[in-house]
Amino acid sequence: MMSESEIITAREAGFFLCHDCHKLIEDRGEKISERCPRCNAAIHLRKPNSLTRTWALVITAAVLAFPANILPIMKVDFLGTADYSTIMDGIIYFFTEGSYGIGIIILTASVLVPCFKIIGIILILLSIHFKWKTWLRHKTLLFRAIEFIGRWSMLDIFVIALLQVLVNFGNLTTIEAAIAATYFTGVVLSTMFAAITFDPRLLWDA
Amino acid sequence: MNSFKAHITDLLACPDCDLLLEQRHLEPGQKACCPRCGHVLYAPKRNSVDKTLALALTGLILFIPAVFLPIMTLDTMGFKQAGSVFDGIRVIYESGYFFVALIVGLTSFAFPLVKLFLLFYVSLHLKLRRYPHDLPLFMRCYRYLDEWGMLEVYMIGILVAIIKLHHIAHIHYDFGFVCFIALLFVALASSVSMDEHEFWERIEEKPV
Repeated sequence: MMSESEIITAREAGFFLCHDCHKLIEDRGEKISERCPRCNAAIHLRKPNSLTRTWALVITAAVLAFPANILPIMKVDFLGTADYSTIMDGIIYFFTEGSYGIGIIILTASVLVPCFKIIGIILILLSIHFKWKTWLRHKTLLFRAIEFIGRWSMLDIFVIALLQVLVNFGNLTTIEAAIAATYFTGVVLSTMFAAITFDPRLLWDA
Repeated sequence: MNSFKAHITDLLACPDCDLLLEQRHLEPGQKACCPRCGHVLYAPKRNSVDKTLALALTGLILFIPAVFLPIMTLDTMGFKQAGSVFDGIRVIYESGYFFVALIVGLTSFAFPLVKLFLLFYVSLHLKLRRYPHDLPLFMRCYRYLDEWGMLEVYMIGILVAIIKLHHIAHIHYDFGFVCFIALLFVALASSVSMDEHEFWERIEEKPV
């Protein structure tokens, strides 16, 4: 087992870790070449401007989340009458129909996961700003969970794409995407990029 | 600290918490986790290059039928409508949501295809012990694209669409459905069989 005194980070030992191939590179004091000798990626001690970029992206996501949830995401045309529905309408529809399982899946992927990502990243960023040094392992775990679930929010967009192709019966019934689809895709993209620009080592540096 | 610097090749740092650790030899099936934050540092796999090569090639063969053949046909009151993954991108583009169409096109079509191609290219060259100068670049591209290929999310999307539609119409499953499921499993297996640590070490150890 490792005792407290033996804990030494790569930075303290004078090593750079390549972001792309995870090769350890020695800092020889003089102006080292700025490219990784193995994979030619640019070398940084930490991801550049990590906190600023992550803040910018997470705020973007939070702002876009409003139109994404308020505006209609899908247009159902039935015998010439257009009916617009928001994300929440779709979820409520499943619950009233009695399909609880599928309702929970959509609720999780479209509402809970984006909320969890935005709140989680803000929590992690605040904890770095205020140097909260407790629960570091759990916060790293939280970040890994945010990284992992990021892509699953695209589910609703894929479902709409499939419905739009399949439910296309001329004048009888058609389904089309509506304006909130763009905002929702924006939320997914900005939260995924926020997870990419964030450097979890900043938690441990604080 | 000087003893550390003596053998830098025996050391590694955790990418999530920067802890400096000694590298140990592991047997396939074992994995090394960071003692401080729990990050999986490396997990050697048996015959990683061979398996990845075989799976990536299979994936490339399955790709065209899985994406272009209709997944299912909806049949209601005399109307029949079939749809493929590619049709999904096309209709969103045609209805004017270019940004959504672009992202759906990239994540369900372009990135999964490029990922399979990159894995095929890198593992083929490692297998043949050839080391073209763009091999590290291709490995890096794969790393960046890894989370942007969303076939498994699409699969759940297909299941949700089936549940939504099976009340209102009869659904026929077409050959594309089988191809898509096969592609999904092969693509997942190829990502899992790829041992990044080993791939990078083999790229670095190229014989001159």
